[in-house]
Amino acid sequence: MPKPILTIKNLTKKYGENIIFQHLDLNVNEGDTIVIIGPSGTGKSTLLRSINLLTRPDEGQIWLDDEEITAKGADEDQVRQHIGMVFQNFLLFNHLTALGNVKLGLSKVKKMSEEAATEKAMQELSRVGLADRAYHYPGQLSGGQQQRVGIARALAMDPRIMLFDEPTSALDPELIGEVLEVMRQLALEGMTMLVVTHEMGFAREVADRIVFMEKGYIVEEGSPDEMFNYPKFPRTREFLWKITELYGSTDKDTN
Amino acid sequence: MKKRILLTVALVLSVALLVGCATEADSVLDKINQAGTVVVGTSADYPPYEYIDDAGAMTGFDIELMTEIVKRMGVELQWEDMPFDSLVAAVNSGKLDMSISCFNYDEERDLTVDFSEAYYTTEDAFVVSSAFTGSIVVPEDAANYKVGVQSGTVQDGWLTDNLVTPGLLSEANLSRYERVDQAALDLASGRIDVLMGDYVPVQALVAQNPDLLVVFHGELSTGPINIVLPEGDTALKAEVDRIIKELQAEGFIDQLAVKYFSE
Amino acid sequence: MDLGQLLSYIASGTVYTVGVTLIALPSGLLIGTLLALLYVYGGKSAARLMNLYSTVFRGIPPLVLLFILFFAVTKGINLSAFWAGSLSLGIVSSAYQMEIVRGALLSVSGDQLMAARSIGLSRLEAIRYVVLPQAVRLAIPPWSNEAAIIIKDSSLVYALGVPEILRRAQLIGASSQRYLLAYMSAAVIYFLLVFVTTRLLALFEKKLTIPSNP
Repeated sequence: MPKPILTIKNLTKKYGENIIFQHLDLNVNEGDTIVIIGPSGTGKSTLLRSINLLTRPDEGQIWLDDEEITAKGADEDQVRQHIGMVFQNFLLFNHLTALGNVKLGLSKVKKMSEEAATEKAMQELSRVGLADRAYHYPGQLSGGQQQRVGIARALAMDPRIMLFDEPTSALDPELIGEVLEVMRQLALEGMTMLVVTHEMGFAREVADRIVFMEKGYIVEEGSPDEMFNYPKFPRTREFLWKITELYGSTDKDTN
Repeated sequence: MKKRILLTVALVLSVALLVGCATEADSVLDKINQAGTVVVGTSADYPPYEYIDDAGAMTGFDIELMTEIVKRMGVELQWEDMPFDSLVAAVNSGKLDMSISCFNYDEERDLTVDFSEAYYTTEDAFVVSSAFTGSIVVPEDAANYKVGVQSGTVQDGWLTDNLVTPGLLSEANLSRYERVDQAALDLASGRIDVLMGDYVPVQALVAQNPDLLVVFHGELSTGPINIVLPEGDTALKAEVDRIIKELQAEGFIDQLAVKYFSE
Repeated sequence: MDLGQLLSYIASGTVYTVGVTLIALPSGLLIGTLLALLYVYGGKSAARLMNLYSTVFRGIPPLVLLFILFFAVTKGINLSAFWAGSLSLGIVSSAYQMEIVRGALLSVSGDQLMAARSIGLSRLEAIRYVVLPQAVRLAIPPWSNEAAIIIKDSSLVYALGVPEILRRAQLIGASSQRYLLAYMSAAVIYFLLVFVTTRLLALFEKKLTIPSNP
C-alpha cells in the first residue's frame, strides 16, 4: 500500500486581497516524485515554502507522516529537519566551504561530533559528485556545482521529503544537466520529491505524477503519459505545448 | 495604562532630581579630614600663576600658595588639572573639593560656588602688538578695535557688560579664546588688535614676546583673586580663610609675589 | 625645556589616549551590536526605540555628552574623569556602531536566513552561524573608520581633566611658548596611532576575506 508522507488539505494563502492559492489538496506518497508545473507567479514557490513552514498558510492543514505540522504547538525548527529544500538561487552559506555548508546542520542542529559530521557530510558530497570540491567556497564553484552542494546540504539532514523550487532556472544551459542527473538519481533511489520546474524532459522521464497549477488552483494532475497525451483540460494541453516548445522534450518524443 | 507609566516615570525622575540636588549636610571639610586628602583643581596653562616646569611638574604662584595652605590643613594634596572653563562645574558637582586658578569674584560664578577671602590683588591690562597704530587712553577706547579675551574670565564679563551690551563694541569684533596664549598668537598675527587679560600673566607673555606691549593696566574687572569653594560650605571656607589670613600676616604671600611676579 | 623633555612630556599622555580608546571602542561595539540585532530582528517597536537611541546619541556633540555625564549625572557618584569620559565616548560610539552593524546585517541577504532555517536552524542559530559571520566581514571597513574617529575623539576627555596628549600639548605650549612644536608633536602621535590601527584592521580584513574566483 502506498504510504502517504505528505498530506495537504484545503491550503489557502493570501497577501491582503491577493489570493496566492486556495483550497489546495495534495497527497504525496513515499517514493513519489511529483513535478508541479504552471505559469510563473501562480503560487508554486509559495506552496513549497508553506510546506516547510517558512511561510504560514492562512487556512488548511498539512501532515508530515502522521503529524499535523500546521498545528498550534508544532515546533517549526524540528519539522524543517525532516523537510529538505533546494532553492532556485542555491543560497549556499557564502562564508563556509562546500563541506562547511553540508556540515552546518549536522553540527549545530543534529549536534553530531566533529568527526561524525565531517564523515557524513563528505558522504553526501560524494553522492552528488563533489567530494573533490569539499574545501572550495561557493564563490569558487560554478552554478551547477553550487546547486549540487545545495542538494547535498538538504540531503545531509536525512529528510522524509525533498522540495525543489525551480532548481535549474538560474543555471546556464550547459550546467542544467549535471543537476538534473543528481535529481534523477535521487528519484531512482526512492527519495520522496516534490519538484517545481519548467524542465519538461525531466518531468516526462522521472515524475510519477505531474500537477498543473494555474492562478492558485490545481487545474489537473496525472501521470506523465496522461498529462502529455490525454490531458482533460484544454488549458493543460495549451500550456504543455507551449512549454515543450520552449524547453524542449526528451529524445523519445516523436511529435 | 499610558498615564500610569508617565506618572511613574515622572515620579522616579523627580526623586532622582531631588536626591541629586540635595545639599550636603556634611561639610566637605569632614570628608577631606576623613580621607586625609584634599582634591584641588587648577588650569595649569596660565604662567606665572599655574603652569608646568621643565620636569613636567606643576608650579606657579597659586600652586605654591595652595601647597602651603594644604600643608597647614594637615592633609595631602591631590592636584587635578583641567581647562579653566571646567573648574567651576567640577567644584559644583563635587569632583573637586576646591579650586585655585587666579579666580576673580564673579556674581555669576557665585550662584553655583562660593569664594574664599581674597589672597592677592591683580589688575587688568590691555596688550597690543608693536604694529598697533591706534590709541587706548581710557579702557573704553578698546571698543574701537578688534578685541580678544579668554572666555569665561572676568575680563570677558567686563568687556561684555561695558562695551558689547551698550553697543560700543560689536560681538563680531570680540574674539573669545580658550586660553590666553591662543589670544596672544592672534594678537601677534594681527587677527586681533588688542588683548584684555590679567596684568601679571600678560606681563609674562610680553616678556617672552618683544613684539607685544602693555598699553594700559588698572583694576577694572579684576582686583582680588580668591579660591573657589563648594557652595554653602561654611566650615571649609572658615578653615581656608583662617589660613589665608595667617599667611598674609606672616608675609608668605608677599614673598611668593616677589618670587613669581618681578622679572 | 629641551626638545626631548617636551616630546616625552606630551608622549606620556599616550597611555591615557590609548586607555580611553580601549574602553570606548569595545564597549561601543558590544552595545552597538546588541542594539543592532534588536533593531533588525526585534520587531517594530524595538526598531523605533533603537532609531530614537541612534538619533539622540548621534545628534549630540560628544563633548556635550561628556559634560552631562561627568558634571550632572554622576554628581554625587565617585566616577573619575577618565572613566566618565571613556564611558561617554563608548555610549556615543555605540550609536554609530549600531548603524554600522545594522547596515552590515541588512546587507546579508534575507535569503541567507531563509536557507539557514530550511535546514532546521532556529532563528537565533541562523543569525549566529550564518548571518553574523557574513556581516562581520561587511562591517570591517566602516568600523575601521569608527576606530580612527574614536582615537581622535579621545582627545575630548581633556575637558574633564584627563592628562592625555592634547592637554599636555596645551600645558607645555603655554609654559614654553613653543606652541607649534607642541601641537605638531601631538598631531604626529595621533597620526601614528590612527595609521597603525587602520593598517592592522586592513590586514585583519584581508585575512577574513572569503576566497572566490572573479
